[in-house]
Amino acid sequence: MMKIALFSAILLVLFGGLMYIAADLPFGSPPVSDMDDYFIRNGQEQTGANNIVTSIVFDFRGFDTLGEATVLFTAVLGVGMMFRKMKEGEEYEND
Amino acid sequence: MKMTKIVRTTADVFYPFCLVFGLYVVIHGHLTPGGGFQGGAVMATGAALLIVAHAYEDITGRIRKTAMKILEAIGLLTFLFAGLSGILFHRPFMANWMAQTGKLFGNTVAHGPNPGDLNTAGLLPLLNVGVGIEVLGGLTVILLYMLSGIKEEKKP
Amino acid sequence: MTPFLLLQALILLGLIVTGALIIAFKDLLAAAIAFAAFSLLLSIEFYILQAPDVAIAEAGIGAGLTTAIFLIAIRGTKRFEEKE
Repeated sequence: MMKIALFSAILLVLFGGLMYIAADLPFGSPPVSDMDDYFIRNGQEQTGANNIVTSIVFDFRGFDTLGEATVLFTAVLGVGMMFRKMKEGEEYEND
Repeated sequence: MKMTKIVRTTADVFYPFCLVFGLYVVIHGHLTPGGGFQGGAVMATGAALLIVAHAYEDITGRIRKTAMKILEAIGLLTFLFAGLSGILFHRPFMANWMAQTGKLFGNTVAHGPNPGDLNTAGLLPLLNVGVGIEVLGGLTVILLYMLSGIKEEKKP
Repeated sequence: MTPFLLLQALILLGLIVTGALIIAFKDLLAAAIAFAAFSLLLSIEFYILQAPDVAIAEAGIGAGLTTAIFLIAIRGTKRFEEKE
């Protein structure tokens, strides 16, 4: 019981400190917004897409999306290797 | 092991709607919120409904693991080759060479709010469809692999 | 503005309640369903904050696929949490 009280007290203090710091952070208005303004002003005409989020994700930042697709492909490869068919007499290593 | 008849019937009725809505989100990715990843996830949810409700032996006839693996590979290859296709026209990798040309996917768009036109945005619909297919195949293959692993462990 | 804030407060309260329920349940199937409810509330919150892309992804992945993966995992193991 003592342990739980101590743990929650530490958690509360940490939470309060974090919120105290976070209250001063500016939110929603980045100090440098040249690139954002460029995307919002010219994105629709340059890519022809009405959805500006897609035009950024797939066009201006297309290389990032290629990396994301590769990550998903690699994850599926990993799952496939984990659940592969065992050969005769083969055992899991950590049994 | 399969779930009760009520769950199975509900899944059978609902999964086409999930697939159609996911396809809508993918195809309209450059006009409305959403895109390849979100639409593919919605389509995979439709497949997951079927997979969870039925037994593994019944589901392998309807959703084949090999077909899903092929779909996943085709999706990633579509993405790669759509990106590489700009090189043929002396543009850099991933350049949007089809936009604003007046041909396929090339209608010009006025600035500001306008009613959406599907025939716009150049390379983006192709990339959206590629990512959508890849996400559908990948997530479904993960579920099928997990289900097959359970079956193998319960047999002895 | 006020009804919006009220709705947001209700949803955030629901997030805390479902989050506590996930930890409290000993029945893992019930915990998985509570996690689905948590994800659904979170996606509504994203939608209110004008991020429909994230809301669709959260509803599809969180409420749909993660629940399915948990259900399959529970099928392969035990349904009830054991006492230590």
